[in-house]
Amino acid sequence: MSNNRQEIKKKVKKHIPKDWLTELRIVYRIAMETLNDLKRTGLVNIVIITTMAAILTIFGALFRTALSVSAFAHELGNVLEISVYLKPSADANVAKDRIKTFEHVERVRVIPKEKSWNDLRREIDMPEIDNPLPDTLHVKVDKPENINSVFSKVRTMSVVADMSYAQELAKKIQFLNHVVNTTTIFVVIIVAILTMTIINNTIQLVIQSRKDEIEIMRLMGVSNWYIKIPLVMQGALYGFLGSAVALIPLNLVENMLINVHKFFLIPNPLFAGNLVVLTMFFMGTLFGAGGSLLSIKKHLQV
Amino acid sequence: MIQLRSVTKKYKNAYALKNVNLDILSGEFVFVVGASGAGKSTLMKLLYKEETPTSGTVMIGGINIANLPPEKVPNLRRCMGIVFQDYKLLQNQSVYDNVAYVIRTLGISTKEINARVQGALKVVGLSDKMRAKPTELSGGEQQRVSIARAIVNGPPLLIADEPTGNLDPKNSMEVMQILDQINQRGITVIVSTHDSAIVNHFRKRVITLENGEVIRDIQAGTYE
Repeated sequence: MSNNRQEIKKKVKKHIPKDWLTELRIVYRIAMETLNDLKRTGLVNIVIITTMAAILTIFGALFRTALSVSAFAHELGNVLEISVYLKPSADANVAKDRIKTFEHVERVRVIPKEKSWNDLRREIDMPEIDNPLPDTLHVKVDKPENINSVFSKVRTMSVVADMSYAQELAKKIQFLNHVVNTTTIFVVIIVAILTMTIINNTIQLVIQSRKDEIEIMRLMGVSNWYIKIPLVMQGALYGFLGSAVALIPLNLVENMLINVHKFFLIPNPLFAGNLVVLTMFFMGTLFGAGGSLLSIKKHLQV
Repeated sequence: MIQLRSVTKKYKNAYALKNVNLDILSGEFVFVVGASGAGKSTLMKLLYKEETPTSGTVMIGGINIANLPPEKVPNLRRCMGIVFQDYKLLQNQSVYDNVAYVIRTLGISTKEINARVQGALKVVGLSDKMRAKPTELSGGEQQRVSIARAIVNGPPLLIADEPTGNLDPKNSMEVMQILDQINQRGITVIVSTHDSAIVNHFRKRVITLENGEVIRDIQAGTYE
C-alpha cells in the first residue's frame, strides 16, 4: 500500500515539476486568465471602471480638499495667541520664563509697555499723559485646542492682571477640523461600501456566466486558488483602472486648490497630491479585491 | 490500488450504496454495470470525491479519500482522469486548449504541454482536429477529446462515468476501444455503463450493482 502511495507521489512529482520557472509560468498564466476574463466581460468593463472612477473621484476630491482645509486651519491656528497683561509690579522676563515651562506653549514674546504705548499713540491721537499700559506677553500655543488649558494655567499666576484671546475663532477652527476629519472618515466608509458592492455584483455575474466552465475546471482538478485568483485580480484591476481614470478629474481639483492656496498665501500641504493619489489607488485596488473576495465566498462553491 | 470497505451512501431516506466492499488492482479494466438508479454514478463520484460516503472507507493508493480535506481534492483529481457522459468540454475553447487546460495550470512549459497534448490527441485519433471547437465535432469526437484531456497528465487511473451514454453503437465501440488501448498501457480503467453490447464484447471484469449493493463481481464477465 505504501509502495502504491510512493508510486503515485513519484508520478505526480514527475508531472508537476516545482521550481521557480514553474511558479513564474503559473503567475503568468493566472495573469493571462485575468486578462481573458476582462476581455470576456466586454463593454460592461467600461461601465464598471467609469462608475469606480466616479466614486473614487469623489473620494479623492474630498480627501484632497480635507488636506487643504486642515492646512488653512493650521495656518489660522498659528496666528492665535494669548495676550497676557501683567501687573505694574511684575517682572516681564521672569513671567515669560515661567510661562515657557508650561505644556503646549510654543513661544512667549514680551511686548514692553513703552512699545505698546508708542504703537497706540501712532494709531490714535492721544493726550500727553503717563503711560497707563502694562507690560504684555504674547503666548503662542502649539494647537488651537490647547489654548484653553494654557489660558487657565497662566491665569493662576499672581503677576497676571488680565488676559484675552480670540476664543470664538479658536473654537471655529477646532470645529472645522473636526468636521473635515469626520467627513473624510464617513466618505471612506461610503466609498468602501459602494466599490465593494459594485465589484461584488460584477464578479457574481462573471461567476454566473462561467458557472459551467468553473464546474469543469473543478472536476478536472484545477486548484481552487487557480480558479479564484483571476476573479480577485479582476476585482482589483477594476479598482486600479478606476483610480487611473479618476486621476484626470483629480488633476483639475488639485490645480484649483493650488490656486486657492496661492491666492490666500497659505502654503500648499507638502505631498498632498501624491498622498491622495496613493491612497486612492490603494483603496480602489483593496476594495476591488475585497468585493471580489466577498462574491467568491458567497457564490463560488469550489 | 482501490479499496472500498463497508461503504454506504445515503441521501435523506434513500440508500444509493449499501455496504459496498471492493478491491480494484492496479492495471485492471473494470465495468460497473446496473440499471439506472443502481448506484453506479454514486460509486464513481465517491472515487473522484464528488461525494463523501455516509460511512466506510474509500482508499486510493493507500489514502482514505473519504477523509480528504476539500483543499486536497484538486490534487487527487489531477492524479486521475475523469470522463463524463456529457463530455464537459469548454465550448468556447479549441480541442487543443481543452486538452491543455489542466496541465497549463500546473506551470508546465509550453513545449512540454505541446508534446503531451499532441501525444494524447494521437491516442484518441484527433491530431487533425486540434484547432476545431467542440461544437464542430460529432458526439464521438467530443468524447474522444474528453478522453485525451483525461490522459494528458498521465494518470494511473481513469474513471469513465457512462462514457457511451450519448453515443451511437459505432461511436460507443470506438470510444471503448480507445479506453481498452489506454488500459493496455497500464492505466487502471473503471467504466460505468448500462450498455450490454459493449460489456459483452470486451469480456472484462464486471461488477454489477443493484439497489446500491454489489450483487455480482466476475472476471471476464458479461452483462447479465
